Amino acid sequence: MSSFQIKISRFKPSIIDPPAFFSYELTPDADWTVLDALEQIRIHQEPSLMYRRACHHASCGTCACTINGVEGLACKTKLADLGTQAITLEALHCFQRIGDLVTVRSTLFQFMHPDWSCLQPDDKRDNHDFLLSGDGRAITKFENCIECGCCVSACPVARKNRHFLGPAVLSAINREKKKNPSTENDLLSLAAAPDGEPSCQRALVCSRVCPTGVYPAKHIAELRNQRKRTGNTA
Amino acid sequence: MEKIVIIGGGMGGAIAHDLALRGFSVVVVEKGELCCGSTGRHHGLLHSGARYALHDVATAAECMTENRILRTIAHQAVEQNDGLFVALDDADLAHYKPFIRTCNAAKIPYRELRVDEARRMEPELSPTIKAAVQVPDATMDAWRLAMHFFASARANGADIRPFSEVVGLLANNGAITGVEVRDHQRQATYVEKADMVVNATGPWAGKIAALLDIHLPMKPSPGVMVSMQPRLVGMVINRLHPAGEGDIVVPQRNQSILGTTAWIADDPDEVMLPAEHVKQMIELCAQMLPQLAHLPVVAAWSASRPLLVSAAEADPTKISRASQVIDHALTDGVEGLLSVVGGKATTMRAMAQKVVDRVCAKTGREIPCTTGHTVLKHYRRFFWR
Repeated sequence: MSSFQIKISRFKPSIIDPPAFFSYELTPDADWTVLDALEQIRIHQEPSLMYRRACHHASCGTCACTINGVEGLACKTKLADLGTQAITLEALHCFQRIGDLVTVRSTLFQFMHPDWSCLQPDDKRDNHDFLLSGDGRAITKFENCIECGCCVSACPVARKNRHFLGPAVLSAINREKKKNPSTENDLLSLAAAPDGEPSCQRALVCSRVCPTGVYPAKHIAELRNQRKRTGNTA
Repeated sequence: MEKIVIIGGGMGGAIAHDLALRGFSVVVVEKGELCCGSTGRHHGLLHSGARYALHDVATAAECMTENRILRTIAHQAVEQNDGLFVALDDADLAHYKPFIRTCNAAKIPYRELRVDEARRMEPELSPTIKAAVQVPDATMDAWRLAMHFFASARANGADIRPFSEVVGLLANNGAITGVEVRDHQRQATYVEKADMVVNATGPWAGKIAALLDIHLPMKPSPGVMVSMQPRLVGMVINRLHPAGEGDIVVPQRNQSILGTTAWIADDPDEVMLPAEHVKQMIELCAQMLPQLAHLPVVAAWSASRPLLVSAAEADPTKISRASQVIDHALTDGVEGLLSVVGGKATTMRAMAQKVVDRVCAKTGREIPCTTGHTVLKHYRRFFWR
């Protein structure tokens, strides 16, 4: 492939502050992802470049950033699929930025309670006897949500109102109350608070940018319908 | 108590957790994001040990012990799904009896299935399979498991510093006094004093040791993994044969993750992704799950195993996956520096125990390890302030 211009919004507290764009040029292989490009820039051009990465296959959510203005995972976005050789990378919105593309998603985890399960029953499979537990528990798999923050960063309400629970937390609430019915009333009250589901303006961008098919807007619609049905308000 | 600096934010989390529980003062420095090296990007198999049963019963038994422990102390990082070993041809069938015998020897529970039973449980399995054995493999989330350790370590006072790269090891009169750290956020270099330093950088361990001109015969042994969508199976699917290439499919969320290949590389930072490996792996794994030949690839990547290379063994699939703690006082005359090499994510808690036992011995302390029955903090608590 021919040469690509990668423009990265960089930030280092009190050093590159306010943030500024820096451009890097590289000639990628045909199958390179945005993350491959970041790795090559760090190794060969800019050792102080900060970005997050771990799993390299859309499972950990760390490498989320905006790619030409749209939230996505650097690890599964191929350069060749972007339709341009001018790529702009910026940190996610809505989260505290600590350096270059690195954000700390504490605000997401502030509301995503550790007691909410990361696992769901795997409905498509027949249950079988497990070798270790032997108690006939359902076969489980991880929830699709990888808590990357793309949906929050893309949400026009979350960008303006930092108290808004946001699409990731609202969909976690909707999933958790189904898995754990005894918590349903409490969770519905939480979702129905003014900064919860009623603040959603149905922009639907959360579902469009979600890299793992969680469709947060669908979960928010379910919460809204349930509130209207039951008259449950905070 | 003594201050221990751990270099490496992968399995360093498990070491930090153990050290903090035993009362040491702990600092972890990692050059990038936590888990950005090998610990974060493996295929996500929580080993039952059956993968190693045929050629390394000790490692197999250790995997099974740790499998039970991790399910208990970090159950939100593990899918409850089990695994199958399937024989595809007569050559595989020849390994069936030895496989069962060594599973017994390693105390790995198993269930021998009829072929029709196995195909009812996993309808995507090739209709030509000749035998199937169920084992307690499981799918784990590489990032979340490691972050459980970091969350627990931090809650007990460990100081965890990502984006902090060690650029020098400081020694005086043959004893380690600290490390020189490049802080990539503040763009400044500082000295962090230490009573002992643990080099837990996996495939990068040779590069760290070289900062003090210590030769550590460490080689990165990369393997290619391919993730495809959708998830075809509930259970982990392994080929019943001695560990080789393209013989495992780990389902995770809505993905099927195919592994793996193995070769020896020189520089862990410059590992490339050979296109022919991707093609070969899909072909081999499709012998177990034919539908794989028609699925779209989500991502292909490589991860480096941290192997200590001896001159005697050139085949990376045969090099032992057991971990070793190297005390550089004994090997190189440098007091206060330990390197931990080899090993795998499934056994990271046990590796950490070995390291911290050695730290205790060297500091003259007798403090028992309690990580085997201490339930870890949920990984979200690392971020949840």
